[in-house]
Amino acid sequence: MLRSKRKSKSPYARPNAHPALRALNPATTATQTQAGPSRPTQAAVQFVSTQPQNQEHQLPVDDPTTSEQTAVPLPSIAPSIPLSTSGPNTTVWIIAIYTPFYIALYTLKLCMLKETLHTTSILFGLDVQFFSRKQTPMAADEDADVFEITDFTTASDWERYVARLEEVLHEWKLVNSNPLPPAPRGSLSTGKWHEKKESISFADFSFLVTYKYLERDDIQKSGEESRPSPDDESEEKESSEEALPTVMADMMSLDNDFPSKSHCLSRWFGLQEFVVITPSQSSAAIESESRIKILLSSVSIALNNTGSPVPVFIQIQQYWRQMFSGACVLPGSSIDFDVIHLKTAPPQYSHLSGLLDVFKAKMATQVMPRPTVMVAVRFTYILTEWHNSTWPQEPPDFSSPMEDEVGCSDFGNLPFGASEDPVSEMQLACTWPSLSEDMIVENQNYSDLDPMQAPQWAVRIIMTEDPNCLLGKYLSEFLKISHRKETVEDLLWNLLSKEDDDQTGDISQALQKLTEPKVAKMYNIPSLSNVVHSASSRLAIKPGQAPINGDTLTTLLEFLFPDAKPVSEKTDKDESETESDKPSTKYSSIIEDLSKHLKSAPDDSLLHNLVTALVMVNMHHGGIRGVAQLWQEFVLEMRYRWENKFLISGINPGSPNLGTCLLYQKLQMLNCCIERKIKREQLYKGYTGQSLEEQKDSDSEEAVSSQLTTSDSEPCAASEEEQSKESGSSGTTATVSKESTDRLQQSRKEQQKQTSRKEKEGIPAKRPHLDSSSDDDDEFFECEDEDKEKDEEEENEEDGEEEEEEDNEEDEEMEVETIKAKETTTPEGEEVSMEVSGTSSSSYMDSITHKPEGRLAKSGDLKLLNSEEPLYIPITQDPSPMTEDMLEEHAEVLARLGTSSEGAQLRARMQSACLVSDMESFKAANPGCTIEDFVRWYSPRDWIEEDESTKENPIGHLSTRMQIPGNIWSEAWQSAKPVPARRQKRLFDDTKEAEKVLHFLSAMKPADVVVHLLPLLLHSSIVNIISNEDSDVPKVKEMIEHLISKSSMVTRTPHQHVRRYEDLVKLITLTETLIARATSLKAKFPSSLVESSSGKEEVEKFISDLLHINEVPINGGPTGPVGNMIHKLFVAAQRDLHMVMDDEENKEETSSNTVPDFPRPSAREYILRTAAPRPAPYSKSLPHKMTCSIIEGHEFRLAGAFASDTIFQ
Amino acid sequence: MGDTEVLTTLKILIIGESSVGKSSLLLRFTDDTFDPEQAATIGVDFKVKTLQVDGNRAKLAIWDTAGQERFRTLTPSYYRGAQGAILVYDVTNRASFQKLDVWLNELETFSTKHDLIKMLVGNKIDQENREVSKEDGLKFARKHHMLFIEASAKTREGVQCAFEELVEKIIQTPGLWETSNRGVDISQGGQAASACQGYCAVI
Ligand SMILES: Nc1nc2c(ncn2[C@@H]2O[C@H](COP(=O)(O)OP(=O)(O)O)[C@@H](O)[C@H]2O)c(=O)[nH]1
Ligand SMILES: [Mg+2]
Repeated sequence: MLRSKRKSKSPYARPNAHPALRALNPATTATQTQAGPSRPTQAAVQFVSTQPQNQEHQLPVDDPTTSEQTAVPLPSIAPSIPLSTSGPNTTVWIIAIYTPFYIALYTLKLCMLKETLHTTSILFGLDVQFFSRKQTPMAADEDADVFEITDFTTASDWERYVARLEEVLHEWKLVNSNPLPPAPRGSLSTGKWHEKKESISFADFSFLVTYKYLERDDIQKSGEESRPSPDDESEEKESSEEALPTVMADMMSLDNDFPSKSHCLSRWFGLQEFVVITPSQSSAAIESESRIKILLSSVSIALNNTGSPVPVFIQIQQYWRQMFSGACVLPGSSIDFDVIHLKTAPPQYSHLSGLLDVFKAKMATQVMPRPTVMVAVRFTYILTEWHNSTWPQEPPDFSSPMEDEVGCSDFGNLPFGASEDPVSEMQLACTWPSLSEDMIVENQNYSDLDPMQAPQWAVRIIMTEDPNCLLGKYLSEFLKISHRKETVEDLLWNLLSKEDDDQTGDISQALQKLTEPKVAKMYNIPSLSNVVHSASSRLAIKPGQAPINGDTLTTLLEFLFPDAKPVSEKTDKDESETESDKPSTKYSSIIEDLSKHLKSAPDDSLLHNLVTALVMVNMHHGGIRGVAQLWQEFVLEMRYRWENKFLISGINPGSPNLGTCLLYQKLQMLNCCIERKIKREQLYKGYTGQSLEEQKDSDSEEAVSSQLTTSDSEPCAASEEEQSKESGSSGTTATVSKESTDRLQQSRKEQQKQTSRKEKEGIPAKRPHLDSSSDDDDEFFECEDEDKEKDEEEENEEDGEEEEEEDNEEDEEMEVETIKAKETTTPEGEEVSMEVSGTSSSSYMDSITHKPEGRLAKSGDLKLLNSEEPLYIPITQDPSPMTEDMLEEHAEVLARLGTSSEGAQLRARMQSACLVSDMESFKAANPGCTIEDFVRWYSPRDWIEEDESTKENPIGHLSTRMQIPGNIWSEAWQSAKPVPARRQKRLFDDTKEAEKVLHFLSAMKPADVVVHLLPLLLHSSIVNIISNEDSDVPKVKEMIEHLISKSSMVTRTPHQHVRRYEDLVKLITLTETLIARATSLKAKFPSSLVESSSGKEEVEKFISDLLHINEVPINGGPTGPVGNMIHKLFVAAQRDLHMVMDDEENKEETSSNTVPDFPRPSAREYILRTAAPRPAPYSKSLPHKMTCSIIEGHEFRLAGAFASDTIFQ
Repeated sequence: MGDTEVLTTLKILIIGESSVGKSSLLLRFTDDTFDPEQAATIGVDFKVKTLQVDGNRAKLAIWDTAGQERFRTLTPSYYRGAQGAILVYDVTNRASFQKLDVWLNELETFSTKHDLIKMLVGNKIDQENREVSKEDGLKFARKHHMLFIEASAKTREGVQCAFEELVEKIIQTPGLWETSNRGVDISQGGQAASACQGYCAVI
């Protein structure tokens, strides 16, 4: 390499003769300066030539002598001599300047000019003439002494720009890189692309420089070998010299013609790496020729200076035109890239022979014989009219699902599917991958290119951007509520009447519909409902203004609470539903497992129905206000059920299931409370009957009723028992809700009977009265009548001592008093009842004075230690049901006590209520027992039997830990009085807990409601997706599994984030779209069109591939089974199209013979390439490529890459 | 090393029949003592200890439970969210070993994390009158995919090791303790491609 004589030390840029220089002499405008990588002994100005971009602009090639004269900037002072190369591969010409004086002068002039020139050229654009590139370089000899100018002041915008560009190329390590092998087949579209970005400004303009490159994991391992570092030894240099530069290898590789998707530059030229410079703002498109030239020159300089072999493009014209101009500088050669873009194809060029002419003309090679051009062609045919399928398959009727009284199932089903055909068109690409130009003819009159002869077929399906998927739409609308801040009251303020007076007459029409008239029918307690209404503060809604109108609301509520519907109506519905409800697919096991995977609720719970109803209401009945209204009604119904002791249907019995979502647990809790309340009141009735006198004192009227109730108590208790037995035995199957519904219905009927009987007896309003009073008497835990029955049974079994029973009654009275006394001493506290009852307790210790009470069963054949009495297991209080939030609170309280021994003590005491209660029950059941007896039942491993112990005569002792004086167990034992469970203070306060739940519910804003229902929403949606999925496409199944596992994770995380659910809704939409696409494709490519079973399989695979592969190659091309089907589809579409014309013109059917099988190709692409010496016949043979795409009626585009030898030209 | 940040808080349960030595094991682990006068647990008890495992500091919240039948209705509520469970039996008491199935079942039903790590500990190996052999313990653990160790709260043998092993295993099971703050990454199926600027196909 030759070095520049002047070495600029400008920190910005080394070049120092620039546009200014060119401006001085048009002949030199194309030449560029460069400072070599510093060899201080030499200094020279380098001029580099770039290839002409367009033939038109190319000036006649000057011979070196003329160029010498024209090129020298100040010829009169500084004559230059061509320095014909100091190495065979140099293309650099030099101006040698002999005297410092000249230089100084020259620089001065230059600077002045440069300033003016720059502003003009950048801001206004210079005359093209000035910038038309000149092929001839300039030359000057060089041998002079070192001459250096350190100049920081003169760095222009342009210099900075070029310098920055070079810097960026260095940063990205695009310098001196060794050639890569061409990209593997198809990898341009399937591979992973990366990009690096950098912003560079040129004066006021800012450009974005982007390096895009394909990840080459195929050569990463052997990366060292394929791209040896440039400093390596000569052997490797030789080998790398032999290797074709990356860009050329890419251009000539046949493996990536017609990529299915890729950057257009990569598509046209086959590039696996390139740099694009685009104006940062699309408004600042580079349109003037002169600017394009400046920018291209800059690129050439930068590439030359850095020695980077990567092609660099400048995006020109408006973005949409996809116009680029580019350059690539290689050792000994360079490549020019150009794009021509027209709206329509000039007729003479719109076929292969015309394009070959263009190609050859551009190449302008003079060698004979001319090298043959290799051609690759692809025709694309579009099918939009599908002969055999229309969309929608089943017209989804969502006009007004609720308006007409079709039934409640309309609220129970989320919508599903796309409302528009998700598949809009099919594109068939027929490819001739490699033809020699003389093997094929295509001109204006004749074409060899018949799609049925094309060796390769591939299909691409264009999907509708947004096929309007209903489920996704409904869900995302529903989710939006979660961001709203309004409370129910905010939303319904104008609907809620505040005067209580209105209530009786003007109560919420719908609720009234549900509760009042129907209650009257169903429950047959006409007077009850009024009392209830005024008692519970129901918010009345003014009719006519509500988002949900009365009839709809009734339908909704009947749907949610089918047990509140008249029996006759209900049973019919149920049967029809159960039949249609069976999605007997491959997914049924998945559906079954779903409620385990997700933290939501058991299948088909009340909450599932609620969430779907809310989603529908949100879309069709007033949006968030409708949601607020329905929620309001729901909460009221919950309160109504609590106050009137109707179990909530659609909620599994038992303690809150911690594997379900919080809201479901809350409802389970409420149900527990209702159940306890029912039992409690049954018991109360029993008591009132027995402690008659006491009651009389307080309220004589009530006593009458009590008596009556007592007379009724037998059938009542029976029904209760039946109910509790059933609820105990029912499993977790989906049928439970229905069973329990029926059961409820039954039990309600029983109650109806009772009440009506009472009514007949002339005491109508007593029950409600009882109800309200019962709330005050909730201090006792009851163990229902069956306990007593069992007691009796056992006692009878034992000895038939009937007198004991009578005694019992007397006793009871006494007990009641004791308890009353206990109550008064209890200062509000409940948990630490042990301490409380411990005050006056010792008298009860080991007392034999009382009669046994509350026995459940004998504990094997154990006998009490101190007597011959058998040891009885007492009836105990059930453990308190807890929801997860209570539990968390509880655990936190326990944990907060710390780990000290005092903390542990306190913790034990806090939890001893249950132990004390059990001890009291035990004492009551086993008169004369000792703590040893208790331990033998309760903690048998703390009773250590001696060896000589026998069954009849048990001998043993307590474990050491139980013997420690003052330990909490013996302490508790001391304090425990013999009180049967049913008269103990309740460990579980159902009234309080029910109120807590109801408060929780009514305090929820619509946004909270949505958040709490999200797990159910997911659950229902997944079930919905699955029941609509019958495509058998593996990809769909994959998606569903993915969806389930994500949902499982999201519903289980302790803190629920709406954002995660939003992501999941996106996933649901995606799945829904995929299923819609699969369905549509199945209809469009019916496997019925294929005879052979292997063909059917192939069609299925094809459909499956279409869903996730951009462009699906057709096995066997036009002759394979899929190809055959596609052919038929085109033929059918063509027939359809032409039949119409036939009819119009009344032609005969025979014309169908002339109808072509395929329409005109919508797009034609040609790739022409060859290797030929350029520019001179004696130049090296270099690759050239031209890509042409003609899109019918849309665009005509040529993209050419022509290489030229920069040494032998 | 001591003040490295606490990586995470782990919830660990100790379950098993009453008087197999659950509370004693816990006391040995947290306070390195043995108290023969330890009272029988009522309901649940709770202790905390930080532990250094693999250079990670983990804070352990250990919930000790009463094994008595009657408490069994109460204690499972506290199983919620536990990442690890230590099932204890008494090697000198065959019955306590035979009841393990019941305890496993209990865990299965009430633990909210299905992949929680279970460890089987045979306690009181300092005593002579062994009724359950080590092989039996090993067999049971293998069958139910548990960690296994024999220990003595009295002589401290195996106690520290048991807890450390369990914690290490939990930490190696990232799904268990990571609070998974990462958002749900949606793998966009199909056509959105990064390499092209809105120009995918020719047409
Ligand atoms: N010999 C011996 N006794 C033990 C050991 N661990 C516990 N014990 C004793 O077993 C009894 C019950 O222990 P405890 O920890 O309260 O059992 P827990 O009911 O399972 O909590 C106590 O008397 C302890 O002293 C042990 O490793 N060796
Ligand atoms: Mg204990």
